[in-house]
Amino acid sequence: MEGMEMREPFKNFYRIFRKREKITEYRNEGRKILGLLCNNIPEEIIHALGAVPVRLIGFYETTALANSKAPSWMCMYSRGVLEGALRGDFDFVDGIVSATTDDTKIQLFSSYKFYIKPSLAYLIQFPYVKDSLSREFFEKELERFVSILSKGLSAELSDEKLKNSIEIYNDYRKVCLELEKLRKEDSPKISSVEWFALILSSLAMLKDDFVKMVKEELERLTDFEGRNDFKIRIHLSGTDFYHLEILKILEECGMAVVSDDLCTSAGYYTGFVEGKDLRAVAKRYSECSACVMTLSHSGLSIEERLRFIKEKVRESKADAIVVLKDRGCEVCGHQCPWIVREADVPVLVLDLDFPVSVEQYRTRIEAFVEAHGGG
Amino acid sequence: MGDRDWNPLGYKTLYRELFKKHLNRQEMLMNMKRPVGWFFAFHPSELIYVFDLISAFPEQYSAYCAARGSSVDLIDASIATGYSHFLCDYFKTTIGAIIEPEKATKPLIPKPDFIVGSRALCVAHHEMADVFARYYNVPRFVVNYPYWTSDSLKNVDELTKEAEWADELYVEYTVKRLQKLVEFLEGIAGEFDEEKFKQVFKKSERTSKLLIEILKLMMSKPTPGSQREIGDFVFISFFVLGSDYALEFCQKAYEIIKERVKSGEGVSDERYRLLTFGIMPWHSLSLYEYCERMGANFPVNLYVNASVHLVDSKKPFESMVRRSMHFTNSSYEMLESIVKTARKADIDGALLLENTGCRITSMIIRPLADVLREELGVQSLILDAPQCDPRVMPMERAKTQIDAFIESLS
Ligand code: SF4
Ligand code: SF4
Repeated sequence: MEGMEMREPFKNFYRIFRKREKITEYRNEGRKILGLLCNNIPEEIIHALGAVPVRLIGFYETTALANSKAPSWMCMYSRGVLEGALRGDFDFVDGIVSATTDDTKIQLFSSYKFYIKPSLAYLIQFPYVKDSLSREFFEKELERFVSILSKGLSAELSDEKLKNSIEIYNDYRKVCLELEKLRKEDSPKISSVEWFALILSSLAMLKDDFVKMVKEELERLTDFEGRNDFKIRIHLSGTDFYHLEILKILEECGMAVVSDDLCTSAGYYTGFVEGKDLRAVAKRYSECSACVMTLSHSGLSIEERLRFIKEKVRESKADAIVVLKDRGCEVCGHQCPWIVREADVPVLVLDLDFPVSVEQYRTRIEAFVEAHGGG
Repeated sequence: MGDRDWNPLGYKTLYRELFKKHLNRQEMLMNMKRPVGWFFAFHPSELIYVFDLISAFPEQYSAYCAARGSSVDLIDASIATGYSHFLCDYFKTTIGAIIEPEKATKPLIPKPDFIVGSRALCVAHHEMADVFARYYNVPRFVVNYPYWTSDSLKNVDELTKEAEWADELYVEYTVKRLQKLVEFLEGIAGEFDEEKFKQVFKKSERTSKLLIEILKLMMSKPTPGSQREIGDFVFISFFVLGSDYALEFCQKAYEIIKERVKSGEGVSDERYRLLTFGIMPWHSLSLYEYCERMGANFPVNLYVNASVHLVDSKKPFESMVRRSMHFTNSSYEMLESIVKTARKADIDGALLLENTGCRITSMIIRPLADVLREELGVQSLILDAPQCDPRVMPMERAKTQIDAFIESLS
């Protein structure tokens, strides 16, 4: 594989994401679009009700409007979404859904609702605990979600429709795992920039379409030549990340990104729904261990996250971890020292301030590669 | 602007008595080797008294460090360890005290035997409970209250937190988790005493009614008391509600303010009435006095108001849930309850404190300012004011901003 340029079909996927091509198509077909503020929203339900769930992401160099309505030290993800909402760039959504997964996502939901007044807005209440009482509660919470959403979308949920959507989402997860294999080969066949082009596009289109498109390309992707010009295999850690520029620098400095635990990637697609009904959906979303919020009765969420990271590092044979630490991210803020302290491999922490001036990181990344890259 | 006479209610002595009794209780329980629990604001503090627990609140300890000047070093220690700068000051201060106790104000926060994490205010409570539990390797129990939205809660009274309607699903689940908390505490501190539980809740009910009455009286004209005294009410409503000494304090405090209102005296010669919100900057409480001496008094402190709720001793568990129905735990379209309070208090402006690192209180500041401007036509001054880090809020700069704001009101 030559250089760090994005190849086809990744370019095509990335364009779909950035230009919201599929979203425009769905809108033109008269479908309702729901904007999601978190990766942990049971999208199967939205999908089964005939609406299109898409993740809201705002790309802006500056966020002056958002800064006039919220503190400027908040994470870039939340400022980007607020900026987009206030600029009217998300006028294509008919409603929003968020979750109580962190303070930022709760307050972002409130702010969005307060300033934009979408006709539909729902905040999913997570129990944080995995005991049977909380599981039962979460099932009822999802029933509540179904009932409010059905009214808002004037649609009925049937067992059949839900079963179908669960299958589509599980298919999507399977496809992601297939793609993961190409990424973690000894000579990785997909660069990190290309990986994110793919995964981000899946946040901006129906999973049915994504699966179909990827399947059509899978053979070609499998035949791609792998990359051998790297010095170190990297696991990327962080939260809501979507900036390709910084990934380019990592790769230019000799890193090959072979796995991650990001909310916009592995933290999103990991974990199947095992079953065909709402109960099964509730189980999957309340047990998704990549997320900070879900914890077992006895264990701590930090421990679950560390377990998840370690497993990913082992599977992908990563030599080191790079933490993409958004200075305003509360989740990274609390967990980063534990990752550094307890990881089995060396860790490089990149404190990200936005807009990112990527060059400032180059020296540190090069020094890290120098110190830990086997060559 | 002239320096006017400042005439606080004189609660200082009452607070001194209260703290003394609280510390005596803690010491007595220490001698009895009772378990130490770490809790957070909006935890049902009554259970501390039912189970004879030694209580420690990271928020309270951090505020103490901020008032005594050690919080800056502790915050720096936490950042040097890799925790982010833009996290809650209470978290950073407490972690700093755990990592570098030699820099922390004494007496240190006692080591926990268990931790109760919750989300009745912020996910940060839950996040920090996780971190603390990992440092100390102690059991941690989580109670997750709902974040209230307009489709789950209707018409809440801003002070009592009585609501016309609350979604049963959320109330029932939270009650059940709270009952599980009681079981968890039984496992740690011994059998649950039903009779004691009733007595503690009766005390709590009486105390809560007095707290609410005092806060209503604060809205009298002229404003009878200073926020330097009222601001500390959060200590009572968050941490010691259910104790004998909290009740005693409130009984005396109520009599004092009642008399003050009857006499028509104010904390100062009142020119402006300001609403305030935001966690108090514990390092610079003189800020309130500074405003009051200029005749800008504070009949309403929304943060203090958020901390109180009407306890119904006949429905203790529901009361524990009611505690979470404050506007800082509700979506912003529910700010209408605040407008009612502000209207009642007849305010001229607002001083809003943006607590850096606290998403829950900071994100709501601008919507609040917008609502006050649109609904009541009043302007707000927003100050960057992290509650434990004075470096971000130099007093002189804050004073200049306040001077200009007050000038603009005339
Ligand atoms: S996980 Fe971090 S980046 Fe994502 S919304 Fe929360 S604070 Fe922001
Ligand atoms: S200051 Fe904010 S983040 Fe910290 S404990 Fe209080 S509400 Fe939570």
